Amino acid sequence: MNVLGLFVRNLMRGPVTDPYPFGPTKTAKRFRGRIEFDAASCEGCKLCERVCPSGAIKFSKDPGGLAFDCWHATCVFCGTCAFYCPTGSIRQTDDWSLAHVASEKFALVEHGLIPNQTCAECGATALDTAPMEGGVKPPLTPEEIATLRPLCPKCRAKFMKARKAKK
Amino acid sequence: MNILTKFKDVAARSPWLYRINAGSCNGCDVELATTALIPRWDVERLGCQYCGSPRHADIVLITGPLTRHVRDAALRLFEEIPDPKVTVAVGVCPISGGIFRESYATCAPIDQWFPVDVNVPGCPPRPQAILDGVAKAIAIWRARL
Repeated sequence: MNVLGLFVRNLMRGPVTDPYPFGPTKTAKRFRGRIEFDAASCEGCKLCERVCPSGAIKFSKDPGGLAFDCWHATCVFCGTCAFYCPTGSIRQTDDWSLAHVASEKFALVEHGLIPNQTCAECGATALDTAPMEGGVKPPLTPEEIATLRPLCPKCRAKFMKARKAKK
Repeated sequence: MNILTKFKDVAARSPWLYRINAGSCNGCDVELATTALIPRWDVERLGCQYCGSPRHADIVLITGPLTRHVRDAALRLFEEIPDPKVTVAVGVCPISGGIFRESYATCAPIDQWFPVDVNVPGCPPRPQAILDGVAKAIAIWRARL
C-alpha cells in the first residue's frame, strides 16, 4: 500500500529537479546576495568601509566627489555593511548570478558617486551628502533636512548649534 | 581520416569534472557536492560528471584561497590534468582571496598560479551560480577542442 501510494504521489508530483539553466528558478525571499548602493541617501560616514571584513568596499576621492566601490569578487555577502549603514543606503539584493569569464573579473564592481556641490551659505565646495540624522533630538523635520542638504559641513554645524540654542 | 572527423562532429563531447580543494573551508565543496549529488541541482543534466582522477578530467574546479602549504601539491595535481582543460575558480577565495586577502599564509588570487577561465564568486556561491559557471566552462572547453 505504502509503495503504491508513493508511486502515485511521485507520478503526480513530477521531478524535483530545479530546471535552472534551462528554465526559471526560485530564490529565497531573504537571500543575501550582491549589494546595491544608493549614493543619494548616503551620509558619507564610511562606516561600511570600516566594518567590511573582506575589504570589498573602498571610498576614494574623485575629481567629481567621493566614489564608492564594492568589488563583488571579494565581497562575502555577510551583510555587515547593510546592518551598520545608518541611512539604509546599502541594501542586499537577492541576486546571486555572478558567474563570469575571467576577463570580466574587475568589471564586477558596484560603483556610486557622491557628487560635489557648492555650499548655499558660504560658497565652499563640499560633498552633497545626506544630513546626519542619528542621535539628533528632537528629530529633524523634512524642512530642516531640506535646508541642511545644500550646506557644507561647517555651515551644517553652525545650523545645528543655532537650533540647539533655540530649543 | 574522413570517418574520424565525422565521428568528432557526432560525438557528444561530455567533459569530466575534477575538484581541487586548495585550502577551502569546505563551504564551496559542500555546494559543489550539492550541485553534483542531489537531484534538485543535478549537474549531470549538462552532460558532465565528476571523476576521481585528475588524469581523466577536462574541467577543473578549484576552491579555497590556495594556502602556502597546499600550493605545490595543487600545482602538481593541475599539471597532471591533460590539455585542453578549463579552470573554474569557485568562491571568492580563489578569485581574490576574500576575507583571507593579503594573508601571509595564502597565495590568493590563484590566477597568478593557474590560468583561470571562469570565475564563480559567492561565499559560498549558490548551486545555480555554480551550474552557470560549469555551463560557461563547457562552452569554452568545446571551443578549445
